[in-house]
Amino acid sequence: MSERRPVLVLRVPSRTEFLAAIRDVTRRMAEIAGFDGAQSDQLALAVDEASTNVIKHAYAGAGDRRIEIRFEARGDELRVEVVDDGKPVDPRAVPQVDLRRYASERRTGGLGVHLMGRIMDRVTFRRSGRSNVCCMVKRKPAADRGAAP
Amino acid sequence: MTELSVDRRELEGIVLLYPRGFINAHTVRLFESAIQEALDEGRYRIVVSGAELKYIASAGLGAIMGVVEEIRTNGGDIRLAELNETVQNICDILGFNHLYRIFPSEMEAILSFREGGETGSPPA
Repeated sequence: MSERRPVLVLRVPSRTEFLAAIRDVTRRMAEIAGFDGAQSDQLALAVDEASTNVIKHAYAGAGDRRIEIRFEARGDELRVEVVDDGKPVDPRAVPQVDLRRYASERRTGGLGVHLMGRIMDRVTFRRSGRSNVCCMVKRKPAADRGAAP
Repeated sequence: MTELSVDRRELEGIVLLYPRGFINAHTVRLFESAIQEALDEGRYRIVVSGAELKYIASAGLGAIMGVVEEIRTNGGDIRLAELNETVQNICDILGFNHLYRIFPSEMEAILSFREGGETGSPPA
């Protein structure tokens, strides 16, 4: 059973009204994986942000596309992949966030990616065939390890 | 069920906003409109009272960041109060507490406007 495979795949239209469903499923998956309520809320936020970025940037607001979210609870970590087939996204183009400068310049871009990076232990972006794959990994705090079903 | 509603009341010239529910990319326009309405009326002292705010994504935080300069330039401020643990954690993660004054209670946020320190970031 060493083969890695998603335990749950969620496919939703690329519309912001589905962000609530994404948040709810992510939160539940995090709880099943053994994360506590506060950690599960943060994981839900990170996946919300990744999905929002897909809608805004990869699909440029088009609501007739698909977002696929793959959840995999494995050992002491939860891995979530957010996949789209929109235009390629260059993660290097994401600005570094300086909140004070942002406020003075009325900029808000990049906040979501910044949050994802602060919440998750690892965030990577890759191109796979015609898809963008944002892979996020969160490990359970040491004290919680072994608590997963 | 509506994902977000934003009630409003006023006290001592301060606009109190009560977002109830979830602020994300889907609902943020309603939140932005509530803030903008106050600014259009020339009211620059605003408290976002978050007791019923369950969740806020970067879109919501961006909405605050997008207006704070205008508010402070006009001698006012936007302050946050009564945030639940989830929302407080998000603010902590982003470092919002360095940019905005956040109070445990709505009353403390209201009273802070009486202290004369109308404008500006919290003390470093």
